[in-house]
Amino acid sequence: MNHLSMESLLSLREPGREPGTATAQEHLHQCPQCQAELERLHQRVARLKALPALRPGRDRWPETAARYRAERARRRTRLAGFTGLGGLAAAASVALVLSLGRPTPSADPTTEQLQEAMVRSQALETALGAYNPDGRVLDGRTARMAQELEDRIARVDRELEATELLRQQARDQELLRLWRERVGLLDALVDVHVTRASNAGL
Amino acid sequence: MESSLLAQAETVIARARTGDPEALGALYRAFESPVYNLARRICRTSEDAEDVLQETFFEVCRSIGRYREEGSLWGWIRTIAASKALMRIRRNKYRDTDELNDQVMGRRQEDSHLRMDLEAALERLSETSRAVVWLHDVEGYTHDEIGAMMGKTASFSKSQLARAHSRLRQWLGEEVA
Repeated sequence: MNHLSMESLLSLREPGREPGTATAQEHLHQCPQCQAELERLHQRVARLKALPALRPGRDRWPETAARYRAERARRRTRLAGFTGLGGLAAAASVALVLSLGRPTPSADPTTEQLQEAMVRSQALETALGAYNPDGRVLDGRTARMAQELEDRIARVDRELEATELLRQQARDQELLRLWRERVGLLDALVDVHVTRASNAGL
Repeated sequence: MESSLLAQAETVIARARTGDPEALGALYRAFESPVYNLARRICRTSEDAEDVLQETFFEVCRSIGRYREEGSLWGWIRTIAASKALMRIRRNKYRDTDELNDQVMGRRQEDSHLRMDLEAALERLSETSRAVVWLHDVEGYTHDEIGAMMGKTASFSKSQLARAHSRLRQWLGEEVA
């Protein structure tokens, strides 16, 4: 006689939830060995449930709380950084406008595009600040998207600071590229917070 | 869950949502033990389980604002803990086979003569099998839920459970005469 497999016994254990086949039920009804096996299975699970609760050897809350505090502080700094760079963008825009106001042999298209990107970046930061994303509740997916965008913006900001080391012409091109990237990321971040778009395609 | 927290759960959760450190600490104290127990039953070492405990509560602190109170708070925290523990064992996958443990420990030949206690037998299972046994038989997750948490199918969970019980039966000396 073929006895029931462990998988069949497990299915029979929970009628309704893991339904076994009628054949298996019929076999069980007639086979004392499989009945004994099923009983052992029940007892094993009961013993598993009765195992004593294990406790951590040391208190991990101080570390956890410190890590959480650090992350909150980092987040606040980052948002403040957005505002700070917004100010920088405004100052740079004024400087560019003044520079454009001067008679020059030929208007540099890079300068105009750069100014445009800075103004757009500033407008997006204002919109984001007005929305107060830190005070809102987000679902897990949206929060992850926002987090990733904020990280990428922080990376662009670091690169923007580093452009100071470049030569004038290379710097303008790099600044334009970075400010455009920043505008794109801020745009996506505003989109995530305001519309909570679920398919930003990160 | 501590009865003192149970009595004022709504207030504590509301305060925790604002980032109140005292309320977050109260949540930790209330659920520290069950979270650690679940993590320790799934993970190979107490160090891994303590890391899972920390990861779980870090996530709870970050995400308590997103807890919708649709299910129990423990159910929500337990799912976070289970996910973190499964993530941890995925990272440790290189050592996640009974066969490897058997070879390293040189005990395969002795299996039929050994009568281990349940704790030792559970410990000896692979992390994946042990996780399935614990989540299904003790915590009450369904095979569909376990499969989803592991990024596998319900059938994978079922076959892991059957394999684990066959091994437990053997190691516990429960063979039918």
